[in-house]
Amino acid sequence: MKVSFKKETFLQSTSLIRINRNLGALLLFFLFALPAFGQTIQVRGRVVNDAGQPVEKVSVILKDSDKGTVTNANGEYEISAPSNGTLIFTSINFVPQEIIVNGRTSINVTLSPSSRSLDEVIVVGYGTQRKRDVTGSIVSISELALREVPVANLQQALQGRAAGVEVQRTGTSPGAGSVIRIRGMRSILGSNDPLFVVDGIPFQGSLSDINPDDVASIDVLKDASATAIYGSRGANGVILVTTKRGRTGETRVYYNGYYGISNVANKYPVFNADEYRAMRDISTWGAGYMPEELASIASGRTTDWQDLMYETAMRTDHNFSVSGGAAGNSFSLGGGYYKETAVLPGQDFKRYSMRGSIDSRVGNRIKIGFTTLNQVSTQNGSQFVNGGSMFPILAMSPLMPAYNDDGTVKFAPNGNLDDNNVGTWTPLLLKNNNNNWVDRIRRLSTFNNIYGELQIIKGLRYRINVGLNFRQEERAQFQSGNTATNPSFFRGLRGNTALVRNSEAWDYTVENLLYYDKTIAGKHRISFTGLYSVQEYKSHYTQVAKDSITEDFVQFYNMAQASPTPPAAVTGGESSWGLLSYMARLNYTFDDRYMATITARVDGSSRLAEGKKWTTYPAVSVGWNITNESFMQNIKHLDNLKLRVGVGTTSNQSVAPYTSLGLVSNTNGLTAPGDVIRYNYGPTIVTGYNIVSLPNPFLEWELTNTMNIGLDFSLFRNRLTGSIDYYSARTTNVLNTVVLPATSGVPGAFLTNIGNMSNKGMELTLTSININSKSGFSWSTDLNLFFNNNKITRLSNGVKMDIGSQLFEGHSLTAIYDYNKLGIWQLHEAALAAQYGSVPGQIKLEDFSGPDGKPDGNINPLYDRHVLGDMDADLQGGMTHRFSYKGFDLSAVFYARFGGLLVSQVHQPLTSYLTVMDGKRSGIKVDYWTPTNASNWFPMPQPTISPISTAWTTLGYYKASFVKVRSINLGYTFNPSMLRRISAQSLRLYVTVDNVGILFSPYYKQTGIDPEGTGQGSQGVSNPGNLRNNDNGNGAITIGTSTPPTRTFTIGANISF
Amino acid sequence: MKSSYKFLYTLLAATLLVGVGCQKKLEENPYTVFSVDYFKTPAGFQNGINALYSGLRFLYGPEGAVGLGVDGTDEFTYAEQPRNGAGGTADYLTLGNYTLDFSNGALLTPWNRSYSNINLANYLLEFAPSVELPDNVKTRLTAEARYLRGLYYLNLVQHFGAVPVDLGAGDLKPNNTPFQGFNRLPVDEVLVKNYNAIIDDLIFATENLPDTRPANAFYAAKPAAYHLLAKAYIHRAYSDAAQPGDFNKAYTAAMTVINDPGRFGVALQQNFADVHRSGNDYNSEILFAVERIPGNNIANEVGNPSGIGAGKGIDAANDFVGDYTAVRAPLNSSSTQPVGTRTVTYGRPIRRFCPTPWTYHVAFADKFNDSRYEGTFRTAYIASQTGGGFTANIDTAFILALTDRIADSLNGISPVGPRLKPYRVIAPREFYFIGTLSSEISRNMYPSISKYEDPNKIAANDQTGRPFPVSKLSETYLLAAEAALGDNRPADAVPLINALKLRAAYRPGLSPAEVTNRYDAIKITVADIDLDFILDERTRELCGESTRWPDLAVRHKLVERVRLYNTDGAPNIQPHHELRPIPRGQLDASLVDNPSMYQNPGY
Repeated sequence: MKVSFKKETFLQSTSLIRINRNLGALLLFFLFALPAFGQTIQVRGRVVNDAGQPVEKVSVILKDSDKGTVTNANGEYEISAPSNGTLIFTSINFVPQEIIVNGRTSINVTLSPSSRSLDEVIVVGYGTQRKRDVTGSIVSISELALREVPVANLQQALQGRAAGVEVQRTGTSPGAGSVIRIRGMRSILGSNDPLFVVDGIPFQGSLSDINPDDVASIDVLKDASATAIYGSRGANGVILVTTKRGRTGETRVYYNGYYGISNVANKYPVFNADEYRAMRDISTWGAGYMPEELASIASGRTTDWQDLMYETAMRTDHNFSVSGGAAGNSFSLGGGYYKETAVLPGQDFKRYSMRGSIDSRVGNRIKIGFTTLNQVSTQNGSQFVNGGSMFPILAMSPLMPAYNDDGTVKFAPNGNLDDNNVGTWTPLLLKNNNNNWVDRIRRLSTFNNIYGELQIIKGLRYRINVGLNFRQEERAQFQSGNTATNPSFFRGLRGNTALVRNSEAWDYTVENLLYYDKTIAGKHRISFTGLYSVQEYKSHYTQVAKDSITEDFVQFYNMAQASPTPPAAVTGGESSWGLLSYMARLNYTFDDRYMATITARVDGSSRLAEGKKWTTYPAVSVGWNITNESFMQNIKHLDNLKLRVGVGTTSNQSVAPYTSLGLVSNTNGLTAPGDVIRYNYGPTIVTGYNIVSLPNPFLEWELTNTMNIGLDFSLFRNRLTGSIDYYSARTTNVLNTVVLPATSGVPGAFLTNIGNMSNKGMELTLTSININSKSGFSWSTDLNLFFNNNKITRLSNGVKMDIGSQLFEGHSLTAIYDYNKLGIWQLHEAALAAQYGSVPGQIKLEDFSGPDGKPDGNINPLYDRHVLGDMDADLQGGMTHRFSYKGFDLSAVFYARFGGLLVSQVHQPLTSYLTVMDGKRSGIKVDYWTPTNASNWFPMPQPTISPISTAWTTLGYYKASFVKVRSINLGYTFNPSMLRRISAQSLRLYVTVDNVGILFSPYYKQTGIDPEGTGQGSQGVSNPGNLRNNDNGNGAITIGTSTPPTRTFTIGANISF
Repeated sequence: MKSSYKFLYTLLAATLLVGVGCQKKLEENPYTVFSVDYFKTPAGFQNGINALYSGLRFLYGPEGAVGLGVDGTDEFTYAEQPRNGAGGTADYLTLGNYTLDFSNGALLTPWNRSYSNINLANYLLEFAPSVELPDNVKTRLTAEARYLRGLYYLNLVQHFGAVPVDLGAGDLKPNNTPFQGFNRLPVDEVLVKNYNAIIDDLIFATENLPDTRPANAFYAAKPAAYHLLAKAYIHRAYSDAAQPGDFNKAYTAAMTVINDPGRFGVALQQNFADVHRSGNDYNSEILFAVERIPGNNIANEVGNPSGIGAGKGIDAANDFVGDYTAVRAPLNSSSTQPVGTRTVTYGRPIRRFCPTPWTYHVAFADKFNDSRYEGTFRTAYIASQTGGGFTANIDTAFILALTDRIADSLNGISPVGPRLKPYRVIAPREFYFIGTLSSEISRNMYPSISKYEDPNKIAANDQTGRPFPVSKLSETYLLAAEAALGDNRPADAVPLINALKLRAAYRPGLSPAEVTNRYDAIKITVADIDLDFILDERTRELCGESTRWPDLAVRHKLVERVRLYNTDGAPNIQPHHELRPIPRGQLDASLVDNPSMYQNPGY
């Protein structure tokens, strides 16, 4: 890839170089010791640091030209240069070097750390900026860091990697996603997901549509001064993804791939046979044991359903790419294949991807290019297999045999008759699909953009970006009918059913950009960016569900081959929106000491009512490079110190399309597929329409005003670098619903901009080179730590708490409002327990308050429920250690959260039914109270565990802190001389273990269950009433039963030819 | 190079084209949702009417409505599993023993589901003059809207007393504003408005609906409107808004239907058990039912058929069902549970509600001459699984004997001898705790209402999908009889009651002489007639049909009869329980100065 560097930029940077003595000697050596030739030759080589590690993204420029390239992840570069030309190597944190080619075709370079090389260019919105000029809060994640943990998607790659970026998984099945929150949540009802921008174009699809191997780097814009240029979409932060592009030079072939095997990291702790019997005998269950169970008791036979079900899973990834180019044209083509299976049958995820990019330079004034990213992915088992299968595995009686005496699978091995009645079959049926079910999501996505850039006059450029994207998804489901000889695991006592949902979405973006750069009098640098853009989005889906397919083998492929009754359930929907934007940004730098950025964006959105459509988003930020002041020149050990301050306004697209119109629709708000208003007059079925919501012409965006103060520093000859940020974000106009009384005659709630919310936090990022010995051993550490305090500051007119919606003024969105469980009433407390209508063995709740503001000897929902805490971490972060010695490299990635509570629905009896302990079935093992076991954890198995009917929810709250070793990665890079035989340029082999272990977790210690979440909102049978609905993916992360987390051993290779 | 310029200029031209008409990109033109103007179109008007009909499904069949209709009455109390609702709130326990408060979830069904339909009806009636429909069609649809609005209001008033006629835009006007007031005061004046509105709507319906009820569908027709009008007059006659002549007008309205069955296309069924028989849903005795289609969950708006409550499916078929799967046979000490597998016909034994002993022993004291006990309750169960000497789907597994004496003789206890039946015979004294004799509080098995059984549903646990009767001709007779009594003409009530008695005496296969004998044993004279008798007769005719609680409450008989006949409700019931509390959500959401002013007294 040809990189055009602005000449003045380049001059500025060289003027700052303090050439050290060694480098000077080297230069002299090259200048005088070698002869020069005039012809153009191809030069290639490798750039390493003092420790011999490759350095990527080093700019390699041919002096006095606009030719240039950058090194890849292996530190390699290739450039064509006159044989007497001079190459300049520059990179952040390193002293630039100038090397005369002197006829050599191979030049390897060792860079030494510099005190003042902040000329790295980083991606900001709608352009790039020198890092030292940046005044906003931006964090970059390099390709190297992205590669350290083999991951299925970008979210996982980001977890624990950037301060202020919280990534929490929302599932453990293959292809499951994660939730990303940048500096907390701002919206109760709208989306809190950040805006993803891929190669400059806003990305509307699912992140699993992006092959992580296609990504070259990620930059996260966190504060308003950086995101205000994205206006109405900037409030949740912006994640800029840059994909790989070609480089000029000899065509290269790259292969990155790995293969891993996964096993269950932690089995769920369940009652063993003896423990199960003990629980069942003390419980209310009066119907005795099944004959098979009695036989097991006599013979000592037990069944471990988890062992029977769990399998070894695999994960593999293969990526080939070819890149090269010449004479101002470069290309990069790639293809990838990823597959992951689960430890439970029926679940896997596959992705095929194809990528291509072309960059072409025409003369000195025009650049054009094209990028295309295409994926087809298939996800099996995520809709009903995952989730539906764990319950029987954990709840089946360990006394029931899994197989009949003749070795065949026992279809209904339940320890109680009730379950046989509702058709709870053995999970072993899952092991042999036999076309019994299909649970598949197939996605096709294509993401394309084309750009053209024209240099009008020196310093003035016009650029156009056009993005065109399309996504299609088919969800196919089939569940075979239930017969005596072929029982259907998913259909209980019902016939077969099939469902197909096809959805498509497309969007386009057109951006017109104008850039102007000017340096005045050597000290004043001005840079202006102007934008006019149009974006439109449309989506549509159709879903058909049909029972009574004639033959099971037809599956969902032709629903016409079915009995005419009952008729098919057909649903559909559409959505579309448009966004018009104008943006202007002015950067000003004086003497590399003072920087200022002023931006303004105006967004017009279709989603808001007439008269409210246009909103303006201003932002200002300033920076001060303190170390560039003359009075700082004598301070030792301080290489760089920069202060950044910014304020700005942004919003998020929290108003759904059509909300302002007032809607009449045929939806009844009930469970699909019964969610369409129907009626019948005899056999004639008709549809009904009713008023769904009131017109709402006053809606506005939720506006977030952010103030950010940051300090970047670099110490001890750049051995220790980092930054600290403090921010305070205040969101006004937060959308919340005013519940209208039913007698208003309009169902549902009325949406208004009524609330306020605040987020305040601090972030620390540190990178240190701990050891860098002459022997070649090095040890470096990346650390990020951050916290965010979320608080609802206003809910509604005079409303302090909204228990129905689980919103509490003065507390976080993830607040837990409930009784406080003190423990279990013990025998010696019988008299006190009796005052509360309770007996020993029942849950002991705190008498928190009463009508007079003090404990009143009564447990009452009005006075004794209170905010127990929230699910936010008090402090969280990640740490990566990297070691290298000769060709070996070793890295270990840690991820930690401290403070806060978690909600374990596994331990809430009536959400999971796994800790009910009514003797009807087994379940998760807990230490329950008995007269001889003074446990304070779970009550005695008995009909009433508390006189308060909702007390069982209190059994699900635990301390959320944990420290996890996410991965350990050991690699070896072969010496190039060893590779000539296989004509490879570079080869690195590595082994990785991920999900290595839980170093610390009170929850894990007590329960034996992984403390990371498995989903959002209530995952159980019923909502316990103390979790917010998962509107727009805003529900709190909770722990339910899911495909168990795995540990994967991976072996992989990175090769280039 | 030139081509590159061209390329760039083409892109530039394209973007300019996109830019043209950009303001249009900020307009919203949804395809699937409309504004209220949609109801001004002929199709929209009809689809609005459809929604009004459909909304009744919330009020007829689901668990909340059944609970409000039967729980805590002389007829029914809660059974073994009265806890439901989020977090196991015991809605049906507190409803049944009168410890309920204004948070009770069952109250929400009528309260939250009615006003949106009333408002829709207000819209339709407001727009009707401008809808381009043929006059005859428009008149019929308008009359349907008024019949349905009257029905929604009658349902609300019988539970809550006065309810708003003004939803925020004026009396009976469509409301399109986020109105947060609560127009319930002064209660006595609003109640007068309620009854006037109901009666006006229903008079319009009796004048403009088609005469004849369609034979295979339940479009509202005149007989249903007259029936409801009679009911509305009777309710008003007992209320603080009573007008002179209410009973007389009720009698006239009811007799209009009874005297002219040919014109209205209605007639009593010969056999009482046929009235609610599956497959006979459109029989001539049903004046109006809320429609559903058996086995068609989608048409019935049931997304999760094995769910309980919270929707539009019928729970009535499961709510009354005792735990027949737990019954051991042939003896209580046997290990076999021959109906251990749930069946589609018997349904899911949710055991929410069970009959009180009064229902069994007193109201249905005569189970021999009067066929209605056996037409109301299931008494015999066939084995559903083979084993222990029983063959599935063939052998009788157990019966609930009509009397202890019959059970004892079949079981060989008295007179002492061999058991006469290979199946289990359960004596009435064993009811309520069959299978778990150790536990006195368990109410897991008892006579279960069979009226709603649906053999055509797909799975045993499913909600059912049969039309749910709202008005039956037999009830018209009862209303006419009661109106005659109220109008001080008790003699006029006697033939009406005896018409039902004669039908009750009938059973298939009986000779006319035998029917006459049985009729003679149960027929009444004018001396028998009083309000308590009418209420007893309503139990025999309408047992379990979700009308009992309002029947007692509007007649001010609730407290008296619960104290007499329902041991669960007796200790706590107070006079103020004749009205339901205004639900908490309503008061929380109302921006009014003193919300407690709007609550019914006592709550």
